[in-house]
Amino acid sequence: MIPTALIADDEPLLRAQLREQLATLWPSLDIVSEAADGADAIAQFEELLPDIVFLDIHMPVMSGLDVARMIGRGRKLPSGDFKRAQIVFVTAYDQYAVTAFERGAIDYVLKPFEADRLQETVTRLQERESVAASSDSDAEDALSIVIRQLTSAQRDYLNWIKASVGQTVRLIAVDEVLYFQSDEKYTRVVLTDAEVLIRKPIKELLEELDPKRFWQIHRATIVNTSAIAAVVRGQRDQADLRLKGRPETLTVSRNFTHLFKQM
Amino acid sequence: METANLWVQIASFKRLIWLLVLTTAAALIVNPYFGYKVPFGMLWLRLFVVALVMMVTFIATEAIWRSVPNPRLSLLTAQLVSVPIAAFLGTVASGLVLGRSLTQMFTVEPMLLGILVFTTVAIGIGAITAMLLVYRERAARADVESARAASRETVLQKQVLEARLKLMQAQIEPHFLFNTLANVQHLVGKDPALANQVLGSLIRYLRSAMPQMRDDTTTLAREVELARAYLEIQRVRMGERLRFAISIDATIADTIIPPMMLMTLVENAIKHGIDPVKAGGEITIDAARDGEHLLLRVIDSGHGIVPTATPGVGLQNVRERLSALFGASASLELRERAEQGVEARLKIPLGQLPTLTGEGG
Repeated sequence: MIPTALIADDEPLLRAQLREQLATLWPSLDIVSEAADGADAIAQFEELLPDIVFLDIHMPVMSGLDVARMIGRGRKLPSGDFKRAQIVFVTAYDQYAVTAFERGAIDYVLKPFEADRLQETVTRLQERESVAASSDSDAEDALSIVIRQLTSAQRDYLNWIKASVGQTVRLIAVDEVLYFQSDEKYTRVVLTDAEVLIRKPIKELLEELDPKRFWQIHRATIVNTSAIAAVVRGQRDQADLRLKGRPETLTVSRNFTHLFKQM
Repeated sequence: METANLWVQIASFKRLIWLLVLTTAAALIVNPYFGYKVPFGMLWLRLFVVALVMMVTFIATEAIWRSVPNPRLSLLTAQLVSVPIAAFLGTVASGLVLGRSLTQMFTVEPMLLGILVFTTVAIGIGAITAMLLVYRERAARADVESARAASRETVLQKQVLEARLKLMQAQIEPHFLFNTLANVQHLVGKDPALANQVLGSLIRYLRSAMPQMRDDTTTLAREVELARAYLEIQRVRMGERLRFAISIDATIADTIIPPMMLMTLVENAIKHGIDPVKAGGEITIDAARDGEHLLLRVIDSGHGIVPTATPGVGLQNVRERLSALFGASASLELRERAEQGVEARLKIPLGQLPTLTGEGG
């Protein structure tokens, strides 16, 4: 049987280049199609069921890693068997991923392509193609482990605030925010040189912001920890926070003073 | 001020020496007037009592003034009133100490005259001393002020240095570099003319973007050319997915601006705006005069910002450099466009950066 392949890369010239190099190194390989983004790659895989998929990691809509997670389990054929593809990742520079690939013995090639390196990959693919499908489950395990490592890195915290200012919607990186303070129906978002009002309540912000960078210090206040200049003991059991770049101080209510005990 | 503290002030060795010196000076001055009748030692002793009373009054007035939250008179005025009164009372008191009665002092003419001479000389010397003290305090305050200014200057210099360091650290994206080289590698065989063009753009880009080759300042025109080189490379890579337009007010083309800020905005527009969209989009660079500012806008028709997207260090870096170089008079603002995509607005005061010190310096 003639082996088939799919190339997924968002850059047309690089798809063409890989196609050409493969034509030289592996003349019998039939490159059945090309995809320009992640979603397209999945659709084509489902339709064409190629033996090999060259997956660029960096693609619009869906990254190569996401695609691999989707197609890694393969697809059930009418016969009841599973059809899996061998996946070869393609990347220009992604040290983190490359290290993970090395450790998991996952196939990958680097752009710009080097003939020798590509030849090694081709040889490996050819060898594996001739081996019985029984070893496939191991390969899948290694792949899914690496993908999980690379994609499930961390929870997505709120990093941008959208605030209506007159006719425009300002996009504010949360790192710019010194503190959030609830103000009746709104929340005041205070920056060094400006402040805006948003509708999202403090409680909701608290759930979405990275708790390492943002601390609640009062029922109505969340402060950016990197904006704290000093902590001063306040009245009764409270404390006062002095901020970088703003004259006002923030009150740390008694329930939250423990945050600053070690400082 | 606490009482203990007050006594410490009065009893300070330096002050006592001053007191002795001034008393002796005053005694020498008044001696010709009294010399034939009163022994010098006696004169000196009387003046010493007066001087002591004056000094205690001077310090006590200050102590009282410090303890009043919002005194109506200035401290100096208060001392100008209290110390002469103290001089007079001190003179009278010293008379009492020597065993004279009040009636005697105010009715016997030579004695009254003596009191007047005493008081006048005491006030005169007191006033000179006070002036010296005030002068010294002002000088000390000026020293403190200039030290503070110097430290502000140091902080500012430190910020500028840090900004420069940040600029050095602003990396050329290796991903971009290797991808471009991969494209060139392909084009060399297929379309040598285009390969040549891409290499030309890459060289221009690297020349300005390499940290070691960056100047502290550059001109708007040069930064726009750098952005153009970058966009041209990206267009070869992305094909029809990328369109761009550049419009720059020719009258401000030579404006001196910090390097790599426009570049950061354009990189972001590609990375977060156009790249994630399958159909791509358009990037517009617009540089115009806005009153006293240069308004540099980078507009993309792309994906917009996802609230959970990780903000690159690039924007933060630009912000920190802006605040170190211009304080509050420069700004970077991102806006969501009504149609689609993001508009980045960089505002820099016109004519505030020092002129270029030299090419490639």
